[in-house]
Amino acid sequence: MKRNFYRSFQIFASFFFAGIFLALPASAQVDPNPNSPTPVLVPVADSIYALAVQSPAKPLRELPSVSDGPSAAFDLNSRTVLFVKNLPLMKGEGANAFRVYAEDASHRIYRFPVLDLKPLYHRNGTYALTVELRDELVFSDVPPAGELVVSVAWRGLESNKLLLTVGQKGATAAEYASENSLAAAPAPMVSDLSNVGYVYSGDRNRFMQQAAFGPSPALDIRVRRLGLRGWLAEQFEMPYPSAGNPYPAFPLRPTTLPTDCNGQIDDGLPDPDPFCYPNHYTMYPVQNWFYKEALYGDAQLRHRVAWALGQLWVISGADIQQSSHMVAYHKVLSRNAFGNWRTLMQEMALNPGMGDYLDMRESTRFYPNENFAREVLQLFNIGVMMLNQDGTVRNDGQNIPLPTYDQIVVNNFTILFTGWNLCEATLTQCPHRSPGSPNFIDPMIVTNPSNHDLRAKTLLAYPGSTTTNVPACDGCTGATVTAYAASSLNQALDNIYNHPNVAPFVSKFLIKQLVTGDPTPAYVGRIAAVFNANRTNPTQLKEVIKAILLDPEARGDLKTEPRYGKLREPVMLLTNLARQFDARSFDRTTLSDGVLTSETNPMGQIAFAPPTVFNFYPPDFIVPGASFNGPEFSLYTTGTAISRINFVNALVFNGVPVNPDRRVTAGTSIGLSNLEAIAAADTSGNDLMNVLNIRMMHGTMSTQMRDTILNVVLSVPESAPLLRAKRAVYLVATSSQYQVQR
Amino acid sequence: MTALGTQFRHFGLMSALAQKAADENASAPPSDYLALVCIFMAGGNDGNNSVIPLHADASISNFATYYALRNPYGLAIPQNNLLPVAVSRMGNLTYGLHPAFGAGPYSNGIYELWGQNKMAVVTNVGSLVKPTTKAQMYDFFHPKPYGLYSHSDQAYQHQSGQSDRQIFSGWGGRLSDQRHAADNPGALVPMITSIAGAQLFTSGQTTLPMAIASAPSGLDQVLKPQGYDALPDSQAQLNALNALRTQDLNSELIAAASHVSDQAITVNNSLQSYQEITVQFPPTGIGNQLKQVARLIKKRTDLNVRRQIFFVQIGGFDTHRQQLSTHNVLISQTSQAMRCFYDEMAAQGLADKVTQFTISDFGRTMNPAGTGVSVGSDHAWGNHQFVVGGVTASDFYGMNASNGTPYPVLVLDGPDDTDTGTGSRGRWIPTTAIEQYAATLARWFGLPDSALPAVFPNIGNFPNTNLGFMGAP
Repeated sequence: MKRNFYRSFQIFASFFFAGIFLALPASAQVDPNPNSPTPVLVPVADSIYALAVQSPAKPLRELPSVSDGPSAAFDLNSRTVLFVKNLPLMKGEGANAFRVYAEDASHRIYRFPVLDLKPLYHRNGTYALTVELRDELVFSDVPPAGELVVSVAWRGLESNKLLLTVGQKGATAAEYASENSLAAAPAPMVSDLSNVGYVYSGDRNRFMQQAAFGPSPALDIRVRRLGLRGWLAEQFEMPYPSAGNPYPAFPLRPTTLPTDCNGQIDDGLPDPDPFCYPNHYTMYPVQNWFYKEALYGDAQLRHRVAWALGQLWVISGADIQQSSHMVAYHKVLSRNAFGNWRTLMQEMALNPGMGDYLDMRESTRFYPNENFAREVLQLFNIGVMMLNQDGTVRNDGQNIPLPTYDQIVVNNFTILFTGWNLCEATLTQCPHRSPGSPNFIDPMIVTNPSNHDLRAKTLLAYPGSTTTNVPACDGCTGATVTAYAASSLNQALDNIYNHPNVAPFVSKFLIKQLVTGDPTPAYVGRIAAVFNANRTNPTQLKEVIKAILLDPEARGDLKTEPRYGKLREPVMLLTNLARQFDARSFDRTTLSDGVLTSETNPMGQIAFAPPTVFNFYPPDFIVPGASFNGPEFSLYTTGTAISRINFVNALVFNGVPVNPDRRVTAGTSIGLSNLEAIAAADTSGNDLMNVLNIRMMHGTMSTQMRDTILNVVLSVPESAPLLRAKRAVYLVATSSQYQVQR
Repeated sequence: MTALGTQFRHFGLMSALAQKAADENASAPPSDYLALVCIFMAGGNDGNNSVIPLHADASISNFATYYALRNPYGLAIPQNNLLPVAVSRMGNLTYGLHPAFGAGPYSNGIYELWGQNKMAVVTNVGSLVKPTTKAQMYDFFHPKPYGLYSHSDQAYQHQSGQSDRQIFSGWGGRLSDQRHAADNPGALVPMITSIAGAQLFTSGQTTLPMAIASAPSGLDQVLKPQGYDALPDSQAQLNALNALRTQDLNSELIAAASHVSDQAITVNNSLQSYQEITVQFPPTGIGNQLKQVARLIKKRTDLNVRRQIFFVQIGGFDTHRQQLSTHNVLISQTSQAMRCFYDEMAAQGLADKVTQFTISDFGRTMNPAGTGVSVGSDHAWGNHQFVVGGVTASDFYGMNASNGTPYPVLVLDGPDDTDTGTGSRGRWIPTTAIEQYAATLARWFGLPDSALPAVFPNIGNFPNTNLGFMGAP
């Protein structure tokens, strides 16, 4: 009876709450405060020295009463304990959520491995952080003897800076104190709580840079009404591509260019339709479609994640011949953007564009080709070194990374993947088959069973691997071989998918694409855990994406860690500016045509045409002159730095005019009339600066930067408010402060 | 422009390390000019079809050996098409270069330079941690390079100059760390310039490279911010653009970005005038890159540099299929551009003062991939490299393989093949390490022996740090 009562209450309650939830206006969904507090490194009382002791044999239970502090010197490579407070840790958050940096007198940066984190005693909130005094970045030499400036970073926030003496007494503290505001914790960011909806306006604007192709006024209103969680839920269900911007649908064409569609006018046979060649035989329509979806599409998140995944499972218009081939490939990315990784693996392995790009479709038992077999391991799923679940490299006893596989394994996968080719069988089996034009749409099949290698194969062996052998199919023929090849492929992809590297490998890649170039191991570990918890979930990646974007390391109004964030890749620089400032056609009467490839090319990036299978930039590229990952910096040189400045100049002052020779049909321009009105109404320039600070820099513009730009605004006559707006937008957009998304 | 160098905390051109090198080498800067030009053949050039035995000596691999392995698949180059060279190191036996090394029309290619003793071949170079025999390949405890046969790892190792673990600078960059301050006091440009974007090879620990666009862009245009005029508000905007680069440097990402753009603006001021070169270059990617290098070298006195390193790249060498036609085009483009560049250097009086050298990801399998028109080859290991300029004499150089010569034994599952058993593909175990090849070049460039370990951390693992192919500068 009691149980029944309870049960009926449960049912009633769930109806009740569901009813309340449905009845609530979407704007009422509340997101928690995204801001984490700034960690505080504990000093020796009244000094600019860090409180520190040699790592004791037993765990510390309280703060050391007598510090080894200012007078002590800690030996290189020894274990030293620092003390940190102001840390409301999440469950499971431990040592790998922290980074300890040290800077020497030459301003070189070292990172000390964090070995341990233990609370000192209950409810006090102070933690003992054990570090080893050696550089784990292996970029600079060993730290020199003397005083180092140390700080602790956590969730993208940097603590106060204090001195620690290593080796022996060296340089004096005065030199540092004058350069670094030692002991002073950075001022916390204050959210503007006057906004309705998702109140944290700074964080909201950061979110739109991470989860979309940049903030726009319309998107801003939507996210304010729904909150981050509500907006994400909406995005997961959003139709794609957006209404009015379907995928380009140019049909499959013969591989040999027809004389009436070869883009050549000097062959004496001009193409009746001058767009026949670019539409069918180049990436032109795919690129234009992509930019239109990025600028105007509602399904921003799926488009964004598909763009990210396309930088992992790379194929390139440098080799892919037809727009229809690229579209078939992109549909695999977008269809699985919120799906299951294993399904994505399957569809990618059999995608004819991938098969062509990495030569699997020509790989036979007589002439095996290892290109796809190698990259499906190295680039797409597990990498060459064994990883811990937080994405750090696993080393052997001699500190040498453990390899994930050797050439023998690649050979085995190579022969396993033989025999597949384009789907040129019956229309039932290959519905998109088009005689005379190779079928680059339907998944590949085994067309000729005699091309499949029937020998036994050995797959990856790793901790927890189950079936690592594919038995031979001696004497098999015909349909038996076809079935055998398919089940072997399934088994091989299962074998890869179950490798422990996949979760941290994919998680880290997606974090770098969406949020920050050098995430902490703890962040990677949290996402990898979500990946693993959803291994059989058909919407696994939905959970992964949600976790990445809502993680405390992603969220917050302001990130102060000097290494947090990422350089905007050229495509994102373009879309962020275009979306923010109402991009339309060049004459402003209609929408942009999306013909923007020529704009990003000088900046080193052509959408859908990365130079190699290694994407536009390697995920482990090191920021020049530094020692941490900044993938997009590989596209940033003296040359392209100026190209970025000149791109902004062209966009702000000129736009992209119609140009038939370059097949720019409508062109693109941004609209600054709102800013013009603001500049006209407030001739002090302050309102203009406030708007740009919020909309472009999510409230992080420094006073110095603001003053510098305001000076320029005021140098333009009051009578020219549009020019005031243009000069201000140019200066923000060309600044490194904006080029780096933090 | 303000002198921003001092305001950047992490990468002053005169860094602590460079200062130390300068202090140790307090002698006057050199009076002559030397340059190294790294030509990266991206994707893995097929050395097996670049340098081929043409002789019939049966005691070592000969043309018949080569032909038997590659012709059945359609990947062999016919004997009559090969360009013969007599190789002193090989007992004056004849070897053949790929015919495209003599192709025109922009120049006659680098083949002719063999006869002029201006071109050397360094054979069977590759990533190694220690000298390695076939037996040691299968000895678990013998240290081996990571990521063998992987593009990214092997290209990385050729550029980093270290093969047992990933390090975050390139050997060109570290060479610059060691020499820039001492050799180029008062220079208006960094020691290193890439015409092929940001490259690991060019990035040092303390010095930063410059990267600019290739010709046909003029030197005065490659780093120029557009849209400025002399009007006051335009000038105010320019001043602000420059001032913003000095702000908010507490973020290392912002500081890194600002440092690069600052260097660009500074160098731009120095590039506003230049003299055009005299030799006509091919209008190819590699041709235009080398043309830009030649323009910069012609401006060396203005830029006040005495030692420079350049990086150019030609891609597409990952010829898993359709290799014959693709490879022919790529070799032809590379060779014609290198020859034009050599001729231009000769015109500038620098024929043996500027040395071009190739690197590539790896060699390719002797055993082809596929057959017929689509025939190609897969990833392998040791590979042959080409050096043009200040070489000692046209010859083969490098450490000897198992047969007592520097040219590997072309036998699948043979003593120089990493692979064993049936299905062996012919991936030659390198006999010469990247470090040995690079150290020979670096010494010619002026790196003292004492500084070799700073640039090549594993150089001590190899018996010979001078392969002898570079003459006295």
